[in-house]
Amino acid sequence: MKELKFIAILVIINSFISSSVLYGQNTQIKGFVDALAGVQNDKLSFALGEQDLFITSELSDRFSFLGESVFRFTNTTPTKFSVSIERIVIKYNFYGNHNLLVGKHHTPINYWNDTYHHGRVLFPTIFRPLLFDANIIPLHTTGIGLQGHNLGDLKFGYDFMVGNGIGSTDVLDNDARKSITAAMHIKPAEGLRFGISWYNDGIAKGAVGHDGIPVQWAVDQNLFSGSIAYFGNKFEVLAEGTLAINKTDTTGSQRTLASYIYAGFKIREKIVPYARLDNLSFQEGEIFYNNNNTTAIVGGIRYNINYVTTVKMEYQHQHAAKDGDSNRFTMQLAIGF
Amino acid sequence: MIFRPFNILVYRKYFSIILLLFAGVIVNGQETTLIAISNTKGAPSIMKMAELKSVLKGEKQRWNDGTKVSIVLMKTNTPVGEATCQKIYNMSGDKVKRFWLGLSFSGKADAPIFCNSISELETIVAQTPGAIAILDKISISTNTKTIVVDGKNSF
Repeated sequence: MKELKFIAILVIINSFISSSVLYGQNTQIKGFVDALAGVQNDKLSFALGEQDLFITSELSDRFSFLGESVFRFTNTTPTKFSVSIERIVIKYNFYGNHNLLVGKHHTPINYWNDTYHHGRVLFPTIFRPLLFDANIIPLHTTGIGLQGHNLGDLKFGYDFMVGNGIGSTDVLDNDARKSITAAMHIKPAEGLRFGISWYNDGIAKGAVGHDGIPVQWAVDQNLFSGSIAYFGNKFEVLAEGTLAINKTDTTGSQRTLASYIYAGFKIREKIVPYARLDNLSFQEGEIFYNNNNTTAIVGGIRYNINYVTTVKMEYQHQHAAKDGDSNRFTMQLAIGF
Repeated sequence: MIFRPFNILVYRKYFSIILLLFAGVIVNGQETTLIAISNTKGAPSIMKMAELKSVLKGEKQRWNDGTKVSIVLMKTNTPVGEATCQKIYNMSGDKVKRFWLGLSFSGKADAPIFCNSISELETIVAQTPGAIAILDKISISTNTKTIVVDGKNSF
């Protein structure tokens, strides 16, 4: 009986391996990079953006791989640059449009984080919305997830992910609690997408948050996000908001609302003037985030020279409760190679 | 009015130029007729246009028989590729390439195989179970079939 079981296991393993070998691996490598010039505080500066390297590979009829590594400026290393693994996703397509995902993922918490990678050429604006800079949402989750997309007439999609929570590394969770992400969306018309999500995590006292600062109290975090995206032939609109409820034993539940709305209008196929309005609103006793109510308005123009080359010019005015007003003018050349 | 033979020659010349211009407009305005083909395994023999567009936009990973969908297209700078971009994607060639760049590197779908020639496209379709492609003539390759779209062989 044991021998039969052993032979059965061997047959299953062999069928996996042989299907991979017979399939003929299709691997693609692609990169993205951007360069910037900006004026802030009456000073012109030039800057290198991130260099983003992608590998995608179809390993077999059902297995595929996606890897994304970023090289970027970091002041704390001797070379002033660092390499980070942004995504390693092994996908197993188990049925129809349903997939099992294992690895390090972009947390599918909202449209922007789920759609855009680090390659700036596809970003509608030069910089991410403020809710990313303010570390309101987790950008990455290392763990396991189920994903489905384009199901039925409404093109329903879902993501359910369990992973290491905030304060963990890519190889070890700092506590027993796991982060949970549940998201769903529909695409009822061409270019239109509505999405909602819920993220839950228990953040242990002493865990290092997104901003690199250890948390002073244990926090139970719930994030509720909603988004509307429309990218049509003439108009582009993307509006997203996240309500964060951070609960601690001493402060109770504190609410933070972070949102932005982006709109673009194609005056020609390749030329898109655009605007974005960002708002961060923290409750007075918030202790997990940097409690700094901020609004910003961004106006810019995007010129797609070709499908892998984009020039953007952007002006941003920002008002932060703690830092006052600031203005920034930036120009970016982003390419894919 | 005095009749001058020289003027007739001049008129003829202008008339010829106008005719040529019209001919050019007519040729440019002619739409490339497209045909959907597939490997004999995977895709159904009859599809609706909306379903075909959905498949070619990477929205379907597997056919009903479980075979993986593989999209094969002519390069967007070829006449068939340009016509495919217009009729299927309602986009320019550059926008179609950008669309696939975003989709494939966000991990949402596998990018299509883009071919330089019809013969290359037919060979890939014939050799790949689940492959679906767009071309401008009926394929005579073995192991391929024409898909009837909205009741017609071409669109």
